[in-house]
Amino acid sequence: MLKTIRNISIILLLVSCNHDDSEIISYNNPELELHLPEGFPELNNSFFDNKPTKYGVELGEKLFFEKKLSADNSISCASCHIKAHAFADTHAQAIGIKGRIGFRNTPPIQNLAFVKFYNWDGNKRRLEEQPLVPIITHEEMDSSILEVIGKLKTEKEYLDLFHQAFGDEEITGNRIYNSIAQYEYTLISSNSKYDQVKRNEGTSFTESETEGYQVFQEKCITCHSTELFTDQSFRNIGFPVNPNTDEAGRARVTGNLEDVMKFRVPTLRNIEVTAPYGSFGQFVTLKELLDYLDNGVVVADNLDPILKNNENKIPLSEDEKLNLISFLKTLTDAKFLEISN
Amino acid sequence: MKNFNKGLAIIFAAVLTLTSCTEDEAEAIPTVPTTNNVTLEFNNTFGEDAIVLGDATSAEATVNTSTEGQIHHFSELKYVISNIRLINEEDIEIHYNINDLDNGATVVNQAKEETLQYVLNNIPSATYTKIQFGLGVKSNLNTLDQEAFPIFYAAAGKNDTEMHWEWGTGYRFTKIEGFYGEDNTELSIHTGSTDDGGQGVDAYRDITLELPTNLVVGINAPKIVIKADFNTLLSGATTITLGEDNATPSIHTSVNMMQFVDNLGGNGDDNITGMFSVTSVEN
Repeated sequence: MLKTIRNISIILLLVSCNHDDSEIISYNNPELELHLPEGFPELNNSFFDNKPTKYGVELGEKLFFEKKLSADNSISCASCHIKAHAFADTHAQAIGIKGRIGFRNTPPIQNLAFVKFYNWDGNKRRLEEQPLVPIITHEEMDSSILEVIGKLKTEKEYLDLFHQAFGDEEITGNRIYNSIAQYEYTLISSNSKYDQVKRNEGTSFTESETEGYQVFQEKCITCHSTELFTDQSFRNIGFPVNPNTDEAGRARVTGNLEDVMKFRVPTLRNIEVTAPYGSFGQFVTLKELLDYLDNGVVVADNLDPILKNNENKIPLSEDEKLNLISFLKTLTDAKFLEISN
Repeated sequence: MKNFNKGLAIIFAAVLTLTSCTEDEAEAIPTVPTTNNVTLEFNNTFGEDAIVLGDATSAEATVNTSTEGQIHHFSELKYVISNIRLINEEDIEIHYNINDLDNGATVVNQAKEETLQYVLNNIPSATYTKIQFGLGVKSNLNTLDQEAFPIFYAAAGKNDTEMHWEWGTGYRFTKIEGFYGEDNTELSIHTGSTDDGGQGVDAYRDITLELPTNLVVGINAPKIVIKADFNTLLSGATTITLGEDNATPSIHTSVNMMQFVDNLGGNGDDNITGMFSVTSVEN
């Protein structure tokens, strides 16, 4: 109780000194200056309640790679969220402890500060509410937050980091969630060839990429709009349906039948390295995916009008597909992925 | 034991007789404690028949027939009760640890007899006319917060309970497993909230039950016998036919889930009892 009162007074102190940097400096934990790329969507509101700080991010990164988050200390967030794959992985469906196979394809973690909905069905709107899910899910880490806290508090390094990040050594679930989210907010990908061309940094598209960009603007951009290459809407575009009866797409959140098998339009950034594709990894390659759209998709009452009004397909010639793929590869950000071109 | 009970009964009768004869002898009235316990007893039924659980081919399981003529029986039956309130003669509400899941919420599990009785401790002595409680957990407490409520978190999450809805970071409010139709097709009906203040559904239902006779808390620790009639699952406000393309079996989706929620817990508007009723009050 005393602790709570003290924490509240610290918060009050912070709030009242919002415009007075000296108070924040007294923790010696400055806010990080994040470079917000031009033209990106607005920041998620939660970002402003949990702005990345020097030690918050350092702690979050350490936790992101911490295998003690899992029941048997065998996997960390980074086991499925691999940097070189835009923090996705190469499996059709995520793999948890003891080889347990998860429900859906591991989503990439990039540019999440600018995203309004998280996960394939958008069930979370605050990034801070997400880390608990893999920690407790049977097919993922199968642990509990008290179990995690119990492990972390035996390590001086963590006690010090929590102190530096939050003002005292107390390890709480919220501090764990907030610091992981802070780290994730810093994962911004905006240095692809596409970005460099847009910013006139001395590179230009090849002929094939230029033609691919043309096809993209004609046939893809309605859904994959904005500089994140997603309009963040939920759509059923008739991909093969997950045979798992647990799957309902967006409808498991909203309870609306019209949302059945709708999924969040995914970003196309770094798509070259996030195969396989689809909510449960239906497509091994981009070519397969484009062939599928070209051949015709699964029909449904709520199939997206763009497909429905077009004989349930997005017609693409072989050349168009190859050019489109060339263009999509310009969205690969080698610097972000820390891979060589 | 029987003799002992009989003995107790005689003593009780004597006390009652004494009580009724002491109106003008105030000093002889036994002291009424300021509080006493109240037991809630949950009887899960199909209509008038107590539910017996059983696997697909069980001969013992209670089989129910829906309005649409679908036979069904359950192998598993659990639900969460929280936010318990008693309303006294003066219309004053007594809140029973309504914001403390560790001390004010319980998982009723048909397979575990001890969970069919839930004891409310230290209820102020008074005469009560109504009981209110929630089927499920209010959204503000429905966050799987193990740090705040470790006891309820553990009770709900045990392997044989599985009332954590991990992906939604909330509790399952009802968990029904069983079989329907002549072929004993699996049914799996789980409810829970997905709302976060801006999207999703609220599957919590507030139940209000008038007591058929007043509940007198004082010298005695009385009991309220509550019937939960699971016939309403398929044959409630909405008549539901189970089939491949609706709600079964699915442990994740909230498509059609709200029909089950309203059938079991009412719609919170013109139906505030759902499947529940008070059979008796044992003072």
